[in-house]
Amino acid sequence: MTQDLRSLVEDLRERLAVARLGGSAAAREKHTARGKMLVRDRVDRLLDPGSAFLELSPLAATGMYGAPGETPVPSAGIVTGIGRISGRECVVVANDATVKGGTYYPVTVKKHLRAQQVAADNHLPCVYLVDSGGAFLPLQDEVFPDREHFGRIFFNQANLSARGIPQVASVMGSCTAGGAYVPAMSDETVIVKEQGTIFLGGPPLVKAATGEVVTAEELGGGDVHARTSGVVDHLAEDDAHALAIVRSIVSTFPASAGFETGAARLPRPAGSGQAAPWEVREVEEPLEDPETLYDVVPADTRTPYDVREVIRRVVDGSRFQEFKKLYGETLVTGFAHIWGHPVGIVANNGILFSESALKGAHFIELCNQRGIPLVFLQNISGFMVGREYENKGIARDGAKLVTAVACSVVPKLTVVIGGSFGAGNYGMCGRAYDPRFLWMWPNARISVMGGEQAASVLATVAGRPEDEELKAPIREQYETQGSPYYATARLWDDGVIDPADTRRVLGMGLAAAAHAPIPSPSYGIFRM
Amino acid sequence: MVANRGEIALRVFRTAARLGIRTVAIHTDLDATAPHVRAADDAVRVGSYLDVDEVVAAAVRAGADAVHPGYGFLSERAAFASALEAAGVTLVGPSPAVMEQMGRKDLAREIATAAGVPVVPSYALDDDPESFAYPVLVKAAAGGGGKGMRVVRSAAELPEARAAAAREAASAFGDDTLLVEKYVERGRHLEVQVMGDSHGNVVHLFERDCSTQRRHQKVLEEAPGPTVDAGLRHRMTAAAVALGKQVGYVGAGTVEFLLDADTGEFYFLEMNTRLQVEHPVTEAITGGFDLVEEQLRVAAGEQVSLSQGELGIVGHAIEARVYAEDAFGGFLPQAGRADLVRWPSGPGIRVDHALESGQVVSTSYDPMLGKVIAHGPDRESARLALLRALEDTAVTGLTTNTGFLRALVASDEFRDATIDTAWLDRHELAPPSADEARLLAAWASAYAASPAAGATGGRATHPFQADGWRLAGPPAPVVVELDRPVSVEHARLGVPGTVDGVPVTAVAADELRPGHEVVLEVVLEVVLEVDGRRRSGVVDLRAHTVEVVLEGQRHVFTRPDVTADAGPAAGDGTVVAPMPGTVLDVRVAEGQEVAAGELLGAMEAMKMEFALTAPYDGVVTAVDAVAGRQVALGARLFEVTGTDQA
Repeated sequence: MTQDLRSLVEDLRERLAVARLGGSAAAREKHTARGKMLVRDRVDRLLDPGSAFLELSPLAATGMYGAPGETPVPSAGIVTGIGRISGRECVVVANDATVKGGTYYPVTVKKHLRAQQVAADNHLPCVYLVDSGGAFLPLQDEVFPDREHFGRIFFNQANLSARGIPQVASVMGSCTAGGAYVPAMSDETVIVKEQGTIFLGGPPLVKAATGEVVTAEELGGGDVHARTSGVVDHLAEDDAHALAIVRSIVSTFPASAGFETGAARLPRPAGSGQAAPWEVREVEEPLEDPETLYDVVPADTRTPYDVREVIRRVVDGSRFQEFKKLYGETLVTGFAHIWGHPVGIVANNGILFSESALKGAHFIELCNQRGIPLVFLQNISGFMVGREYENKGIARDGAKLVTAVACSVVPKLTVVIGGSFGAGNYGMCGRAYDPRFLWMWPNARISVMGGEQAASVLATVAGRPEDEELKAPIREQYETQGSPYYATARLWDDGVIDPADTRRVLGMGLAAAAHAPIPSPSYGIFRM
Repeated sequence: MVANRGEIALRVFRTAARLGIRTVAIHTDLDATAPHVRAADDAVRVGSYLDVDEVVAAAVRAGADAVHPGYGFLSERAAFASALEAAGVTLVGPSPAVMEQMGRKDLAREIATAAGVPVVPSYALDDDPESFAYPVLVKAAAGGGGKGMRVVRSAAELPEARAAAAREAASAFGDDTLLVEKYVERGRHLEVQVMGDSHGNVVHLFERDCSTQRRHQKVLEEAPGPTVDAGLRHRMTAAAVALGKQVGYVGAGTVEFLLDADTGEFYFLEMNTRLQVEHPVTEAITGGFDLVEEQLRVAAGEQVSLSQGELGIVGHAIEARVYAEDAFGGFLPQAGRADLVRWPSGPGIRVDHALESGQVVSTSYDPMLGKVIAHGPDRESARLALLRALEDTAVTGLTTNTGFLRALVASDEFRDATIDTAWLDRHELAPPSADEARLLAAWASAYAASPAAGATGGRATHPFQADGWRLAGPPAPVVVELDRPVSVEHARLGVPGTVDGVPVTAVAADELRPGHEVVLEVVLEVVLEVDGRRRSGVVDLRAHTVEVVLEGQRHVFTRPDVTADAGPAAGDGTVVAPMPGTVLDVRVAEGQEVAAGELLGAMEAMKMEFALTAPYDGVVTAVDAVAGRQVALGARLFEVTGTDQA
């Protein structure tokens, strides 16, 4: 925990570089030899030339499904993210067939559903680049039956489409069994000739079930579906052609944001390509280079520093208008702009006391009243404990903060820039509080409490407070599970980011969030 | 009044304006807003530039004192000169009688012989073709400009050549009389500019060499003749002056000679009784002697302003004719909208043109867009200046022969002045490679889409902007869809990047025509350093194509059309109109068997005939061509199904 931020970022870059390769060299070779593009090349070509791409959870499934320290399913075998297609932000969901044939592991399903959630929250059209053998059969119990399992993908497609959020699929490989429903459930579908196949049961299953002997192409190839079955709408020559067709499909979507059928369209400010529920200003760079964050943030999360140093390096013109600066000083609140978007920032600057919680709740109400998105910079070891604080009702004040966060209607974006422990996680808009996006810095730690505290608590409860043999494995468990890579592997976040990219990533999140209108605020009971 | 259009009308108007003479233009409906109409003080509409009665009536109606005929159109039509005379309007040019004499090649020969000027040995048409010393040249008696000319190498070819020449002559000049002459294989085309007045003075302004020709159409012209020594110059100019005096020539005229490069002998070819296209090279080497001014003065009855002794040669000048034609695509004439036109400028450079950005070039008139003339102290410096000027010439939206001219001017053969009149008919210049143009096209596309370009001046505008940003990783390259996908890395000014894997550094990217934000249609002048060499080109970015003009050559990269329906594929058996024009002749019917190369029909466009031939042995399965009908470029005319495909 004393590694400096630069080396942590270096480590992150290395992990990402490996994950971006996708499957094994042999699998990639086999894939490209068939004239298919690798999944990230597909995404690059799908997006507008040079478009920035906010990849979501690229390190998903890190260390999962294999021997300790191995990642047999890099990126969970699926690339998801937001990028521009034909000038508009879209969610892209693309299977990586070089990773276990693009089959769905439990985390693959979770990542796919998370991308659809992002599309739903932010009203972003969805493009599915399908190249998957369907559910990973050995883990079918964790993939198939539950509410948030495979079937939810199609449930989401139907409901997103119902809300006027376009669903487009391009079949670029196999699309078997349940997977067949991704194109079938889409509004408009492309298939690559002699490469894409769609069928509920593949040739081996057909033979087993009915004895019929049929080739994959005859059963559900591009020609069949484009000319005979009508399952797809466009027949493409190859990957590049299919992606170009998808781009032209996206270009036909209605120009205004707010796809909600029948809902009022958002106003489109003059000269801006995008409508937004708030006023978007011209972009101003911060006065300080974001890379200087490496020098102001101590590597050890236990070393205190002033979070305003982070804010200065994230917001437009380094301008931050503080609210209640002199009250509840362990929570910093105030207004700023990021990439031209107005934001209300809530940042930890120490442990949460009653005053800080009250201040936070007040500020969150302000932002909801004014329709200003919230940015949480989370670095919290928790609420203050002890008789004095409990007796004064810190739980009551903490509840006010949690209520305000939970009932917020403005977009919330959370960055875990240090610790994320206990109820502090709730009050600072952890994953359970539906932030539109949540990112972690590579120095972040996340757990219900610190490893040392958990070990002591458990040892004390067991009546052996000094038993090191009991405490050591608990400490080790917390150390492992508190890692941002453990978190990102399980989709507890949308990705581990380079702190220097915080401003850019928040800007992308805000630009995405700006597509959805803001409902009127209303709250549960604030315990007084 | 100038009874002409295009650059020559503008040329005459410039001198007239300088002399304080009010000007009148004539124009057809197609030319109602053409540059020459706007340049004149007044304008009169005519149905055709070739209609003698109408043009004379226009001159009368406009109250013109004199008519300058320019070149082409009615400039050498004796009937026109007579009609003007009858209407009491002065023609800037010789008398109808002289025009008549010189306009007929047979009469001109006789006069030349009488003046002691050597002529090309000729044959009578009704002589036994077997007695001719081949090769011979069959040409229109009334002709000029290469129309109605055919080189014949054997008696067997003669009948067909005569028929074709007669047809072209009849259509171009309304007179199908033909001549047959000795054909000089390695000839140089030399011509002497003369100027006579009504006081009996005839001076010469030295010679021009117009040997760089293609199918008898001049391509490059220069003065003085690079292979002409003082003795030859003396003999040739003396012959020209003698001829001028023989006929009492008044005005500007050109006596054309054929110099046999093998023997050093020269023969009189013809006399052009008008200002020549290439007159600027003479003006350049005579210290700015304004031939148009002199024409106007002489027409007004004045004497030639300089005596022979006062005239001398200053330096060397070369002219290149810029045509709307695809020189590397069979020299097919081009029509379309010249979206962006950039003519060169600089010391020693003169450009006579009538083509501006946005102008539509039709196939109705001469495809010459303009002339680029370079003058220097010696031939090599003039050549290098012309080379540079052609590299600076850029026309988008329309293919011109500028890249071809540039390659020609750069060639060793032109540098060494060894190009004879048939050289271009024997040699093909290699088309410039598209590779560097593709680099420019791809780089400019990536740059224009990136936040580094445009009105924002490199400031960040949107978090999803096209800077290839990726989460904690290197930026994604920009893949530009051209005729094939091209990957571009770091399309920023002054930053080393790559295009298609080739390291490049951009030195400049200036907007010649600003685009608008979303569609990214913009015209940029891009300077890229490739392999340590600077390549400068004009790049016109559009939704479906990217055009690059590099070293004068236009390259068009068409982005793949995703929505194109493959449809009924136009196989190799489809014979399409190679250009917009008129179907002249249909020789086959549906179901007819044809052999590869067999004539299916003919079409005419730009006053040239094109044979439409069967691509391979097969059966004619469709005949869409109808004689006399106008067809668009690419229209299907015939369909042939191959014998082995049936």
